[in-house]
Amino acid sequence: MYSVNYHRANSVDDAAKMAEAGDAKFLSGGMTLIPAMKTRLAAPSDLIDLTHISELKGITISGRTVTIGAGTIHYDVATHTDLKALCPALCHLASHIGDPAVRHRGTIGGSVANNDPAADYPSALLAMGATIITNQREIAAEDFFTGLFETALEEGEIVTAVTFEVPEKSGYAKFPNPASRYAMTGVFVAKGKDGVRVAVTGAGDNGVFRSEPLETALATSFDAKALEGLSVPSDNLMGDLHASPEYRANLIVVMAKRAVLAANG
Amino acid sequence: MSYTIDSKAVSQEPRPGQCLRTFIRDAGVFGVKKGCDQGDCGACTVWLDGVPVHSCLMPAHRAKDKQVTTVQGLEHDGHLHPVQQAFCDAQAFQCGFCAAGMIMTVAALDEEQRADLPRNLKGNLCRCTGYRAIEDAVHGIRSTDDDIAGAACGASLPNPFTQGIVTGHARYTMDVAVENLLHLKVLRSPHAHARIVSIDQSKARAIPGVVEVFTWEDVPRKLFSSATHEDHLVDPDDMYVLDNVARFVGQRVAAVVAETEAAAEAGCRALQVEYEILPAVFDPVEAMQDGAPILHSKGNEAKGNIFVTIKGEVGNVESGFAEAAVVHEKTYSTSRVQHAHLETHGSIAWRGEDGRLHVRTSTQAPFIAHQKLCYLFGIFPHDLHVFTERVGGGFGGKQEMVSEDLCLMATMKLGRPVKWEFTREEQFIGATTRHQMTTKVKLGAKADGTLTALEVHVVSNTGAYGGHGSETLAASLGSPLSAYRCKNKKADGHAVYTNMIPGGGFRGYGASQSTFAIECAMDDLAEKLGMDGFAIRRKNMIGPDDVIESVWSDPSDVSFGSYGLDECLDLVEAALANGEGLPAPEGNWAEGTGIALSVLESGPPTEHRSGGEMRLLPDGSYHLAVGSTEMGNGSINSHRQIAASILGTRGNNVDIINADTDLTPYDTGTFASTGTVVAGQAVALTAKALHDNIVSYAARITDTPVEDWSLVDDAVMNGNRRIELTELYKIGTEAGHRFDAKRKAYLSPRTIAFNVQGVRLAVHRVTGEVRVLHSVHAADIGRPINPMQCRGQLEGAVAMGYGWALTEHMVYDDHGKMLNPALRNYHIPAFADTPRTKIMFADTHDTIGPLGAKAQGECAINAVAPAVSNALANATGVRFAHLPFSPDRIFDQLSVTA
Ligand SMILES: Cc1cc2nc3c(=O)[nH]c(=O)nc-3n(C[C@H](O)[C@H](O)[C@H](O)COP(=O)(O)OP(=O)(O)OC[C@H]3O[C@@H](n4cnc5c(N)ncnc54)[C@H](O)[C@@H]3O)c2cc1C
Ligand code: FES
Ligand code: FES
Repeated sequence: MYSVNYHRANSVDDAAKMAEAGDAKFLSGGMTLIPAMKTRLAAPSDLIDLTHISELKGITISGRTVTIGAGTIHYDVATHTDLKALCPALCHLASHIGDPAVRHRGTIGGSVANNDPAADYPSALLAMGATIITNQREIAAEDFFTGLFETALEEGEIVTAVTFEVPEKSGYAKFPNPASRYAMTGVFVAKGKDGVRVAVTGAGDNGVFRSEPLETALATSFDAKALEGLSVPSDNLMGDLHASPEYRANLIVVMAKRAVLAANG
Repeated sequence: MSYTIDSKAVSQEPRPGQCLRTFIRDAGVFGVKKGCDQGDCGACTVWLDGVPVHSCLMPAHRAKDKQVTTVQGLEHDGHLHPVQQAFCDAQAFQCGFCAAGMIMTVAALDEEQRADLPRNLKGNLCRCTGYRAIEDAVHGIRSTDDDIAGAACGASLPNPFTQGIVTGHARYTMDVAVENLLHLKVLRSPHAHARIVSIDQSKARAIPGVVEVFTWEDVPRKLFSSATHEDHLVDPDDMYVLDNVARFVGQRVAAVVAETEAAAEAGCRALQVEYEILPAVFDPVEAMQDGAPILHSKGNEAKGNIFVTIKGEVGNVESGFAEAAVVHEKTYSTSRVQHAHLETHGSIAWRGEDGRLHVRTSTQAPFIAHQKLCYLFGIFPHDLHVFTERVGGGFGGKQEMVSEDLCLMATMKLGRPVKWEFTREEQFIGATTRHQMTTKVKLGAKADGTLTALEVHVVSNTGAYGGHGSETLAASLGSPLSAYRCKNKKADGHAVYTNMIPGGGFRGYGASQSTFAIECAMDDLAEKLGMDGFAIRRKNMIGPDDVIESVWSDPSDVSFGSYGLDECLDLVEAALANGEGLPAPEGNWAEGTGIALSVLESGPPTEHRSGGEMRLLPDGSYHLAVGSTEMGNGSINSHRQIAASILGTRGNNVDIINADTDLTPYDTGTFASTGTVVAGQAVALTAKALHDNIVSYAARITDTPVEDWSLVDDAVMNGNRRIELTELYKIGTEAGHRFDAKRKAYLSPRTIAFNVQGVRLAVHRVTGEVRVLHSVHAADIGRPINPMQCRGQLEGAVAMGYGWALTEHMVYDDHGKMLNPALRNYHIPAFADTPRTKIMFADTHDTIGPLGAKAQGECAINAVAPAVSNALANATGVRFAHLPFSPDRIFDQLSVTA
């Protein structure tokens, strides 16, 4: 790696101030940022380390409202006993991110801020209608994920937490990319007070998105059978070295069925 | 105190931006390895306050005030950690390069996690073992035998490097601290075909730390081939150390030498190269057509891009097809894949205090690299020393000189030690690959299944340079065709230059590619005849009384030293029928079974030889020197077992050194399955000569018949009379006798080994996912010198075969640029992808190979991909004829045929 200035932030305000100078980037788990720097896809002059900020860590649950600090590692989400009881789908999702070493360092804040089109979390947050809290404002998931690796975050803005109302039922199924295990297609289904929402990751050519045909079908009956024979269009789906848009369209339906089965437990 | 590694305080501070992995290594702790530097392989796993992390993804600053534990810090009170001990007992490694990280991950697992290894070992890749031995280690299974005098051969003795590997102290190529070291990096071509018009070095030279820049104008204008064959005429001399024409994306353009790796990299980026882009061709069929851009004008213009054509015929296929009741004809193709040995290529060169040049490198053929370097740079042979220490995997990839030349040249010019270590990306774009081959097979048979004609046409894409091009092509037309008895056989093949990365040697060497085609075609033919895969093979496969013949009728030196192909088929048939393995998953899955066989000559048709040297030492133990390379294949272990068994002693009583042009006798290289049949034979001859030397000396001084004496462990015996070797040594050396021996072995005649793979699998009709439910493999490798090690070699080869069949694929864009040059996207099998394969041995004893053994490291891979294709065809009724069978490709084909 090349030379870069390293700063350790002790509070969110501290970090925000540090970010004013130079071409700085926030460093959370580093699981995405460090490889990007090694391959020079990213080349910040300064790194602001967020991992020592205690206010960014931890999971709080009040009633059915869950708030997860941006600095919370995947491992902690995967193994949180109370969260498991309330929203097992999210713990299941977190437990299948990467490998143990990645789950011990990577964070939910880093994952949503990065908005990799194949990342797992964005589908859950979109399907559950979560809110992303930053040091400046609150942003609905709908408005937050804006494209491939694009979010509504402004320069220097810090994600501090995500919060959501746990839906009545939810489930996640992913078809992992055989090599990286990122989602080649992942579907999160949630049945809540606003009806059924289905979010798809890993498949869209513009990042995570909601699937209307699937939502309509599941609104009538929240059952895998409701998806029998259904197909979704392959327009606007991603085609790359791993799979064609047609294959991904096929996977969306299969994964949606598996997610509904999981949600109905 | 701020930084602590393995409970020792470290005085230095990390450099700005430094990752923990290099910080640890800079502190002299070399047990932490690099396989990717991107978080994909786990070779760099360490604990940070007890939690395993990939140290390559960790800023070193984060280790401040924390405890860093590496594999070197696991021992407690001089005792191995239980997981280290378990890795010893199960011999859970071959090259051992992954072991340091693997042990750190396993040692941090709790009971629940141990129960789910596929998920919890996801972050640690092993290219050698096929994971079976690692799983055994996790479950505390011991596979090793005791070292008993006289019983070394046939015993599962642990590798002599075991302790070093599990404690992280075994030194691989890059694991040395060298003072005053310079770092070399190369700029690689972004274009598939371009002439270099100019290179402006001024910006690069202005970067602090940059010492020197080398371009094509600085290298000897001598053509050579990076392929390491002793017979340099089998490969075309078609490359320069640095050239002014780039013929593939990734070819070296210039080298920058600097005080640090970072400065060398920055120097490469600062070079301003003006290219004149030339038309490029990637497909070998297009490259053969008139008007295609010509890659090389080195005396073969008349042939265009065809580097070599090989053909032959026995009998007359035309009349054979006329006789046939059924004819099958189809084209099958294999993909371009990379060896992905976990230790990347690299070397370190320096001028020693002895005034000579030294090259420490990761090679399968140090002696051939030595010859090539002497030739290129005009060095007298005795002024150059080339050697390996421990090599982290090879698989044929290191039968290539791709790093030594530039390091040596830089050292000669600059007078300082120079190191160059490939990145994982360079390994993919700038080393070599398996040759992509397309094979058309035409088979004719009578109604009872008897073959009447066999015709094969191969087009091999040799890429931009022709090293290994002719040999792999010859191999593809050789043993896979001799596997079947048929009066009329014909084959032709072309190896064609294209603007792709060059092909090279790769486990199975050309034979893998055509075995895939022929074994699929045999099943397709059987289908037309209404026969099953076993029946058609039993009807036509060669038997011990047949002539081993491909398409050339001149006499061959290949003979049946033993024959166990029939037994292998029986073993696989019985194992597949025994009801073991997993049931098909519930849901929309189709289940199918397939088999394939493969035949491989033990050793190449070209000249091959190896030497051994042995000495009795004053303490009664032995010293053995062999030139062949140990790269995880276990040859160092089997060699000492061969010697020990002939000398009646224990394996541990033989100290062995290998692959060093100063310290060991000449060897033509460890490849083409020669480790046992050539180098092993040399060891056997040497040990026998030393044995005779010792007993005849004992007979002489006692004036007794030599036949009455024998060697037992550390003495010579004649009835009840016993002379300790220490005493004999003393008497002998005082009287001027020398207890030493040197022998050479030449490879001829060559014996032949057999493999049969059986697979039962399930394929998901909608997603195209494949799950292997039962995997069985039978091998006729003669007498296994170390059964556990042989099993491991076969498991590793089978796992690599599954990778080739199901997941691995180098993907390129329209401009010849590789799209997935990282382990993140180029998928070698992880634990979760690798079925546990039941390995069985035919009970044979070879009459040609040393102590009844034959070659075993290579040919197991050849039968795997066709067996998978045959099982898929059995499950779905669709022939998958083009590798790999990834879910999306299966989906595509199933949805077309549905
Ligand atoms: C081998 C491997 C396998 C993986 N597999 C998967 C997988 O299967 N599924 C999956 O979803 N992900 C996977 N990942 C990615 C992983 O989940 C990462 O942890 C995650 O994407 C990024 O989190 P991080 O904490 O490491 O962020 P970092 O890498 O530290 O940062 C990522 C980006 O977000 C920014 N950032 C970080 N925190 C904040 C914040 N609080 N506010 C604003 N910006 C911020 C950074 O500046 C940077 O641009 C994998 C990674 C690796 C290395
Ligand atoms: S070197 Fe760190 S994961 Fe491969
Ligand atoms: S032993 Fe695992 S990579 Fe070689």
